[in-house]
Amino acid sequence: MPRNVAVEAEDLIRRFNSFTAVDRLSFRVDEGEVFGFLGPNGAGKTTTVRMLACLLSPSEGSCKIGGYDVSREPLKVREIVGLLTENPSLYEKLTAYENMDFFAEAYGLTDLQEKKSRIAELLEFFDLWERRNDKAGTFSKGMKQKLAIARALVHRPPVILLDEPTSGLDPESARSIRDLIKKLSSQDRSTILLCTHRLEDAEKLCSRVMIVNQGRSIIVGSITDLANRMGGQKVLLVTLKDTSLKTVEAVGSLPHVKEVVQASPNQLTITVDDFDSVTPLVVKSIVESGGMILTVNPLIPSLEDAYLKLIKEAKH
Amino acid sequence: MRFDKALLIFRKDWREIRRNWQVIGPMIVVPLLLSVMLPVLIGLVPSFTSTQNSSTRDLESVLRGLPNNIREEVSGLSGQEIVFYIMISYFFAPFFLIIPVMASTVIASDSFAGEKERRTIEALLASPISDGELLLGKILVSFIPSMFVTFGSFIVYSTVVISTSAYVFGALVMPPLAVWIPMIFGLTPVLSLTAIGLTVIISSRVKGFREAQQISGLLLIPIIILVLGQVSGALILGPLIVGLLILVFAAIDLAVFVIGVRLFRREEILSKLA
Repeated sequence: MPRNVAVEAEDLIRRFNSFTAVDRLSFRVDEGEVFGFLGPNGAGKTTTVRMLACLLSPSEGSCKIGGYDVSREPLKVREIVGLLTENPSLYEKLTAYENMDFFAEAYGLTDLQEKKSRIAELLEFFDLWERRNDKAGTFSKGMKQKLAIARALVHRPPVILLDEPTSGLDPESARSIRDLIKKLSSQDRSTILLCTHRLEDAEKLCSRVMIVNQGRSIIVGSITDLANRMGGQKVLLVTLKDTSLKTVEAVGSLPHVKEVVQASPNQLTITVDDFDSVTPLVVKSIVESGGMILTVNPLIPSLEDAYLKLIKEAKH
Repeated sequence: MRFDKALLIFRKDWREIRRNWQVIGPMIVVPLLLSVMLPVLIGLVPSFTSTQNSSTRDLESVLRGLPNNIREEVSGLSGQEIVFYIMISYFFAPFFLIIPVMASTVIASDSFAGEKERRTIEALLASPISDGELLLGKILVSFIPSMFVTFGSFIVYSTVVISTSAYVFGALVMPPLAVWIPMIFGLTPVLSLTAIGLTVIISSRVKGFREAQQISGLLLIPIIILVLGQVSGALILGPLIVGLLILVFAAIDLAVFVIGVRLFRREEILSKLA
């Protein structure tokens, strides 16, 4: 079943005087999808998020969120978007509860009971309920980040823009945020646009990512696609009890094996055309040649490899 | 324009401001100095010292520069009574214009430029509150407390003046209401709005609270000129002058707000983020 498009940008351009921060960016994000927005500092990620959140208007191009045009219906767009900014943007002299209460009302949660229960639900989820009456200024960086995420979710927005959501969080908190993002996407069908430097987050959460550099889109695709397309050769890492020349020769003579290198006294790195068809043949050949296999690991190119390669290429 | 959203901004800002001693401090200290300390000092100090004659002699030269109607008002009073009456009725009047200007510029600087400086503005601007609602809320939070402080100071000042005069002279002396009532309830609101409007314009051009407050402080210069004019007798704040000033500042308000509304744009504010 085709999914509804939640975010649709077409040829988005944003100029600041003579400097073009975002240059003809086009992308679509489906309802319930977690879409990653990756790129180095100054790539134009924050400017794009600001355009999507109606904080900046595009110099050219168009963008629709939930069917509303960001230039023509900004109030409607703001109502359905939850934004986590790069900076927590909290009122430090207000308590955690007062911060939540203000934004709940600003986003139209006027029913007192509904507002109270939503705030309690979020503060409890983020382990901030016990500190609800403390001023936000007294919170640690991680607690501020959690409160800022809670604030972005207070009105149950169908589209959520998260700029570095796990920044400043300890591993446990970062994991709980990732779990929350997965839940928001799968159960609540929220559409999430995730701006991040943490490729681990993108790898674990995003169904598709777009890599941007100098305001331009370099590539868009699923994590696996991207890694396969950009990550280079497929390599099998085989650890043996002992390696012998006979084993190396036996593996090297197999079809679809491009290269065999003895990486260490008991490790072979085997470059192959395809993991699925070649791995069983490699295992069989090693066993038949008298080798004793301890482990076999396909070295799947990571998103990080692909990302670094793309950014490097874009610079040249 | 949804008034409830403007009130929401007002409530949020007021909560923040009342916990900020950088803002609340001057709003308490300056009015207390002007409404309590000055009249008490003018009323009580000469009665405890031997400077009555010399101060009366000094005042005679000032009296010569005053209009006839004021000289008639003080005819028949003793030297110390004249000093007290002239001071509390006329010389201190322009000082009371300092209170709304100071209070509204301090709050408006914090509310507009302070929010940029603390980088809280982005989340606020991303919420579904229109520019007009945001501006109105922030004007209300600058205007209402400054009027409260001004009116409160006037009540305290009148009470102190009456009590001091009763204690020192055994008679009740009140500031002339024909001047003070239009000044406090007519001139100070329009003056406060001018100060807020100019602070909005200044705040949209600067990055921080301090910068905005320092530039807004220049708004006190015309009032200091007024004080000097009053002391020298060149410009006495009578009902006519007060009425004229109300009209002039109302016209300035209109112009300043048209410019202020034009400058109060989300993008303009964000582009000046530190």
